[in-house]
Amino acid sequence: MKRSLLVLVAWMICLSSFAQERVISGKITSTEDGSPVPGVNVLVKGTTIGTASDGNGSYSISLPEGGTTLIFSFIGFKTTEVTVGSRSIVDVAIESDATQLSEVVVTGYGSQLKQDLTGNIAKVSGADIQNAPVSSFEQALQGRAAGVYVNSQSGKLGQAISVRVRGNSSISASNQPLYVLDGVPLTTASQSNYGGATNPLIDLNPNDIESIEVLKDAAAGAIYGSRAANGVVLITTKKGKSGRTSINFNYQTGFSESTKRVPFLNSEQYAELLYEGAKYIDDDNGTPYDDEFSETVYVTDWMQYFSYDQWQANPTKTYEWQDVVFQKGSYQQADLQFSGGNENTKFYLSGQYLKQGGIMIGNNLDRLTARLNIENKATDWLTIGLNMNFARTLNRRLPDDNAFSNPLQSVALMPMTPSIDPNTGLPAGTPPGDVNIPMYYNPQITVDYAKYTAESFRNFSNAFATFKLMPGLIFQTELGLDLLTQNEESYFQSQTKRNQTRATRGLGSNRGTFIVNYNTNNYFNYTKRFGKSDLGVTLGMQFQESTSKYNFVEGMDFPSDSYQKIASAATISGGSSSETNYAFLSYFLRANYKFSDKYLFSASGRVDGSSRFGVNNRYGFFPAASAGWIMSEEGFLKSIDVLSFLKLRTSYGIVGNSEIGNFPQLGLFTGGSSYAGIGGQSPSQIGNPDLKWETSKQLDIGVDFGFFGNRLTGEIDYYTRTSEDLLLNVNIPASTGFRSVVKNLGSIENKGFELVLNSQNTVGDLKWSTSFNIATNRGKILDIQGQVIEGGVGGLNRAMEGENLGVFFTVEYAGVNPDNGDAQFYKNTKNADGTIDRTIVGNADYNQAQRVVVGDPNPKFIGGITNTFSYKGFDFSFLFSGVFGNDVSVYGMGQYSMANMIYEDNQTADQMNRWQNPGDITNVPQARYYYGNGNQRSSRFIVDGSFVRLRNVNFGYTFSKDMLKAIKLQSARLYVSGQNLLTFTKDYPLWDPEVNADSFDSNISKGNDFYTPPQPRTILFGVNIGF
Amino acid sequence: MAIATGCQDKLDIVPNQSLSPEKALSTEGDLVGALIGAYDGLQSASLYGGDIQLVADMWANRYYLRFRGTFNGLLQIASITTTSNVILTDNAWARDTWADAYETINTCNVVLDNLELSEGVIRPTASVEGEALFIRGSLYFELARLYGRTWGDGNNNTNLAVPLVLTPTPFQIDGLNESDYPSRNTVAEVYAQAKSDLQAAVTLLPETNQHYATKWAALAQLSRIALMQGDYATALDAANQVIESNRYSLTEPFNNLWFNYINFGGVAPLEYIFYIKITNQDGTNGLNTYYGGTISSIPGTAGRRDLTPETSWVNLHETGDVRRTYFNTSSGRRLTNKHLDRFGHVPVIRLAEMYLTRAEANFRLGSNVGDEPLNDVNRIRTRVNLPNLDIADLDLDAILKERFLELAYEGHLLHDIKRTRGTTAGSNNTNGPAWDSPRLIFPVPQRETDVNKNLVQNEGY
Repeated sequence: MKRSLLVLVAWMICLSSFAQERVISGKITSTEDGSPVPGVNVLVKGTTIGTASDGNGSYSISLPEGGTTLIFSFIGFKTTEVTVGSRSIVDVAIESDATQLSEVVVTGYGSQLKQDLTGNIAKVSGADIQNAPVSSFEQALQGRAAGVYVNSQSGKLGQAISVRVRGNSSISASNQPLYVLDGVPLTTASQSNYGGATNPLIDLNPNDIESIEVLKDAAAGAIYGSRAANGVVLITTKKGKSGRTSINFNYQTGFSESTKRVPFLNSEQYAELLYEGAKYIDDDNGTPYDDEFSETVYVTDWMQYFSYDQWQANPTKTYEWQDVVFQKGSYQQADLQFSGGNENTKFYLSGQYLKQGGIMIGNNLDRLTARLNIENKATDWLTIGLNMNFARTLNRRLPDDNAFSNPLQSVALMPMTPSIDPNTGLPAGTPPGDVNIPMYYNPQITVDYAKYTAESFRNFSNAFATFKLMPGLIFQTELGLDLLTQNEESYFQSQTKRNQTRATRGLGSNRGTFIVNYNTNNYFNYTKRFGKSDLGVTLGMQFQESTSKYNFVEGMDFPSDSYQKIASAATISGGSSSETNYAFLSYFLRANYKFSDKYLFSASGRVDGSSRFGVNNRYGFFPAASAGWIMSEEGFLKSIDVLSFLKLRTSYGIVGNSEIGNFPQLGLFTGGSSYAGIGGQSPSQIGNPDLKWETSKQLDIGVDFGFFGNRLTGEIDYYTRTSEDLLLNVNIPASTGFRSVVKNLGSIENKGFELVLNSQNTVGDLKWSTSFNIATNRGKILDIQGQVIEGGVGGLNRAMEGENLGVFFTVEYAGVNPDNGDAQFYKNTKNADGTIDRTIVGNADYNQAQRVVVGDPNPKFIGGITNTFSYKGFDFSFLFSGVFGNDVSVYGMGQYSMANMIYEDNQTADQMNRWQNPGDITNVPQARYYYGNGNQRSSRFIVDGSFVRLRNVNFGYTFSKDMLKAIKLQSARLYVSGQNLLTFTKDYPLWDPEVNADSFDSNISKGNDFYTPPQPRTILFGVNIGF
Repeated sequence: MAIATGCQDKLDIVPNQSLSPEKALSTEGDLVGALIGAYDGLQSASLYGGDIQLVADMWANRYYLRFRGTFNGLLQIASITTTSNVILTDNAWARDTWADAYETINTCNVVLDNLELSEGVIRPTASVEGEALFIRGSLYFELARLYGRTWGDGNNNTNLAVPLVLTPTPFQIDGLNESDYPSRNTVAEVYAQAKSDLQAAVTLLPETNQHYATKWAALAQLSRIALMQGDYATALDAANQVIESNRYSLTEPFNNLWFNYINFGGVAPLEYIFYIKITNQDGTNGLNTYYGGTISSIPGTAGRRDLTPETSWVNLHETGDVRRTYFNTSSGRRLTNKHLDRFGHVPVIRLAEMYLTRAEANFRLGSNVGDEPLNDVNRIRTRVNLPNLDIADLDLDAILKERFLELAYEGHLLHDIKRTRGTTAGSNNTNGPAWDSPRLIFPVPQRETDVNKNLVQNEGY
């Protein structure tokens, strides 16, 4: 209460100024055909006063005293400035143009024209990702923003997505960017307690987004201080536009399926390999194959038993488990949007219902969102408004990749095991049938007899008031809230007991998550032109506090599986509640100065204090400076006709990373160490009162250019970023009773180039434009004081000096010895003279082989190319995105299923190429049953993860106005869209190289494939109608 | 801007589930809480929760006990032969048992360092001290056995075991110093420390103490140490004291020793001298994890079915021996009945072992302390429906064989082979590595040698 009173007081202070205003109206048409252009942004130059044209191209705007010029801008049109003079009606014809230089870009606590920017900000317009067949907007960013690497990681619905802006800046703290929605830093940490991390950003309807700006360099990011080291993603939602209320309805529906199936052995091949392995062991032991204790007899019994005694009678019968666990997914989405208002009040109201069925059985997602953005010009000097979003997301989850109940783990099952128990007609392994068939737990049972749902209720709200204190000076105060409430409910019926061993008489749980994250921004924006100088100053403060509360109850021993609420549980077998908090208090200042429309300077700084930092380092200061030179405004370049725009810019700044967990600085005891029903406590953490943020120093040098009347525009950037004082879990001897301490230690470097090109290839009836971006990034750990930090499946990923984060570090595979079928490895030890010993050692001497870096999960290049065509009513666009030079470890799955039949797990079909006879040349060693031969960690399981993907295709037809007049519609478009239609890889052996196993995901653990569900290939049919 | 000033103290946020050491150790209840924390550590799957016992069985027993699981760390242990060592220095079992043991030892050290908080109201001060010493001493003994050479294999005063850490680690980073990067102490030193901890525990611990450590548990542990050292007189005396305490009795029938949760609602049999208590809310029976399996006809059974006793083991039993048929079958794999219960307790020491230790020690010393060796062995045989042995049949092999069969799958075999200078069983009835093979010793975990240059790696790694 105290705070809101203070805000009110702050408002009161501002009551002093009144300004003279007059209303300008007019109609905006296209120079091409004279048709009205709706949705054009109209801005009073030098202010933030803006509106947009309505469905008829009409607009009306209040021109404040001192306002002389209107700026008309719209994507695909040249920005036009018109001096108003004494007119009250200003009609304009705007010219089609693909250039984006004159767009307004949101910069955080303000906005700027793109041509005046001195920092690097990638903008993706909401229109570009409208109705993309993805549930979360980050997925739609793939290939659209240079230097932004988005990896969906898994085809499960609603799962966490990895986003990296210009590489990895941290080893232990977060590498995800900060997300800010309409000024409110969002809660983005996964709140999942089952089946891998989820993505809380899924509660946001992508169709509500007006624009997404990614602040990439320090000059752009420093205004977010200790939170900007990984880049900042600013999301701005749509605003109402005055004029006739436009009503837009969109419906799209379609289906999705797995991008790929992986071939596995059929029953005959499987038996052949299993026998081969068993006979090798029998030979080794000198046991006759028909001896009752021979491995040969054992595997015969094994195959017979796990086929419900059907195998010997029908040895060729093969059951394709992928058919059981993959399904055709469904997709339905309906949107209704209202936008309108008058000069004083504007609103945007939207609702969306999304229902998605996953490509894996047992996975679906259901989301309902509603948004109201409303603003009112209360007086000439005060505008108030509220943006509010409600969402309810219901996700029926899948287990994590490393669970036997992960549906895709069923590929390990024997091909002779029927998916349906012939005795009961139920999925194999379901009681009353034999629960020990199949060989491993049948994931289908969990789908049929258990559920785990996460239902979240989300409220994003932001109330704001804008005071015009005097010409050029506004004060903005905002109070924002991100409320996340989640209920996770599960029930495992007794049928799942082989997997959920405590579910003998039912096992249920219920978890609550309550996160209140509130934020207030209060800042002044001042803009003033003195002669040839333009000055813009932003000064303000921000306070954010987040409280997360969790509770949990679990019960077992239910009267029957019909009772699934904990109220019916005879035993309350678990329960917990916990809470965690953090707060940030920040002050920021930014000054932009432009001289003679050519020379640009900007400086910013932020002071951040946080509860996360140690008492000795509670506040940090994060400054940045940048400069730009619009050379094309200089006389000596003005004469060059082909060159329409050229700007050099450079920036340097210091930003921080404070995503270091909530209490890493404290020495602690934790009270969770109970034993046999009595509470206990034990030491859990060594404290470090000096602990602070990680610091990133970034230099950016860039060129923005436009040729041929800006029909070809582009940007080239080079950056280097050195992140220091890394927050590191420094290993200490376990004999201390602790494994690590948290220190600010070490540094990591990222360097790269980015190139963006936008061109309008043809204009006129057939319009063709191309947007292209490519980025390189080279990351290198400079110093972690010799620490060894491992991650990933089998500890293959590693942080080590001189290498990129998460490189694969293991023994180098040297193929198969043609003489005996042994797996072989390079020794790679150092000789006395410093050279590397490339001697090859056999399987038995694996320990002699030295581990080396054999791969890197980080791409060397990422890029995307979008082509957009329109001809009369038809529009067509497609986006290819690519990731190049990264590796994936398939060791997790490979050690079982790509390991020449070491165990009984079914093998990928390529394992048939195993060594059989002396002289055989192959890369697959001899099959040896339960005897490691090449299943050890090695580069055998590191594969190229590069891919190019036809990420998105859109084909539509828009009916002409004339055709629609009769049926009284404003607009109508029919379309087909597709996602992930084609994928090109370098012989990637498993499903999808865009992968990272959720069970292992961390900063270091990237590029692991562990029975990870692939991305869906989605095709949608849609209709869009404007009323 | 006025808002700003009110916000600064909002940055002073402390955690809710965790406490600063000063707050966490300010009352007697806190001290006892830390002691419970030490038991919780001891319960870890990597310690007495199962792994300490499990790896000893697997190492010793390839011919009798087949590993059919997929955990690579265990497969390595199951795959050593006389000619090759496939255990890697980053073996997860070697790594976790080491780290979890020291975490628990540090908690014990915290308790021992804060005894002045005790008022003897919640728990007698002597008991708190004795229990912490019991846990610490037991762990040092196990660490010495797993990471160091066998007692008497070469020079105990130069063979390396594990570092001895006897004081709590500071809670602030600047408190860490050279002493936190210790070298390995010798086998002799670690055994001496374990013995001294347990001897002190014997004098401090109460005679009854629910499921916590008692004087008898400490004595029983001392008898094990003495047996490993070939100090039969001490082993005899300790085992005899436990038996003559009359606190424990052999559970009849044999089946009632097991299925503690399924058949007895979690009540431990009177034979258990020390055990890890598992409830349906807390703790995991690690032996169940690997030895167990889901048996459709017995609700409450579970497990990975990774370790299956071979027919060769069954055939070692005499006909009529209850233990000969004390198996179940789960999808073609034979499983011992001992560890099928999902919430069964993990036995650490039970009375049968004390009888067999007393019998062996008496036999070796030619004495009859407590009872004649023949009677002690026959006590064990009678319970499993075997006829009494004649005195003519009683020799050391008969006593040891009875010990093998009775205590199978409880983590004894490797250590019995080592102290009797025997040989492990390789595959196909061949010999595995002999008692003094370096392959029967864990590597010093690579994680530790990476971070602490003072640690010397074991031979063969």
